[in-house]
Amino acid sequence: MKIVEIMTKKLETIEADAPIYDAIEKMIDRRIRSLLIKPTDERDVYGVITVRDIVNKALAKNLDLNKTKVNEVTSKPLVCVDKGMDIDHAITLMNKFNISRVFVNDGKEIIGIISLLDVLSAELIKRAREGHRA
Amino acid sequence: MLEKIFFGSKKEQNVIEKIKKHIQILHDAAHCFKKAIEEQDKEQLYCVSDLEREADSIRREIISMIYEGAFLPYLRSNLCRFVEIVEKAFDLLKDAASEFENMGQELDQEIEEECIKVADRNMKMIDMLLIAFETLFGKGDLRDKTLAIRIFEKQVDEIKFDLIKKLTGKEVRNFWHGKMLSDFVTSLTEISNVIEDASDYLIIIKVSLR
Repeated sequence: MKIVEIMTKKLETIEADAPIYDAIEKMIDRRIRSLLIKPTDERDVYGVITVRDIVNKALAKNLDLNKTKVNEVTSKPLVCVDKGMDIDHAITLMNKFNISRVFVNDGKEIIGIISLLDVLSAELIKRAREGHRA
Repeated sequence: MLEKIFFGSKKEQNVIEKIKKHIQILHDAAHCFKKAIEEQDKEQLYCVSDLEREADSIRREIISMIYEGAFLPYLRSNLCRFVEIVEKAFDLLKDAASEFENMGQELDQEIEEECIKVADRNMKMIDMLLIAFETLFGKGDLRDKTLAIRIFEKQVDEIKFDLIKKLTGKEVRNFWHGKMLSDFVTSLTEISNVIEDASDYLIIIKVSLR
């Protein structure tokens, strides 16, 4: 199965200089676990802030969530897969980097995201269908 | 041996084939509906009501055949209930088609993508329901199929959340436009709940066969 078939196109972004508290609000409000951070200039690259980053890098260190900026806990660069690749490739990357989501790119543009739950769901549906018509 | 006792005779086989046909027609109607909203072509919606009429007559045949003596008496009410739940999904699809038709204009671009996604998941769920029904009377694990249906339902729930969020921020031109749009989204997103109920009923039937 190709990545483009199961990816989520709903990508939420946040500014790199926004306070972490804004990121938390956005995640809770949109029921998502990560936010994309767009490059600030031509030399910069995409980044991501996840719930895990907030808990491990901010809450655990008792940082002030209103004063600490998103870019202080951001993970960079993004781990990406090409939209035309197979899901197996995404699983390999998730395993290798011990991450629960990878971003999907179409050339230089980020067009989607795949989480472990997306992979699991797709695999279970594929198994349920096995031996039956397409 | 048990399979032969429960569903081996011609009467039982006829009912099973009719129920499969009933679900297949629902799938065809869901496909037709998806195509109509994808292409924003209301003319194509006539097939939903055509197929609904066909399914209605098959449903009546199934109920008659069951009460004329197909299956052991304790199984009859569960099978009839299953068929009625599938019919309820058909009613919701027909309502969604009619509301889409009555909205009098093209579907709002802001919610078009989500509506097509829900229509697609509904169609896939119905296909999986047919596979699950075939598994009930054949080989394979029913749990795999009902889990796949629950995954699709969860996906529809997520899309519904986004849809409602978009709709609540939208300006409504007048009462009737707002009502039609709200009813359309409600019917469209309720179908997955009903399909999930139908798949739960298959588990009840499976348990009652033990």
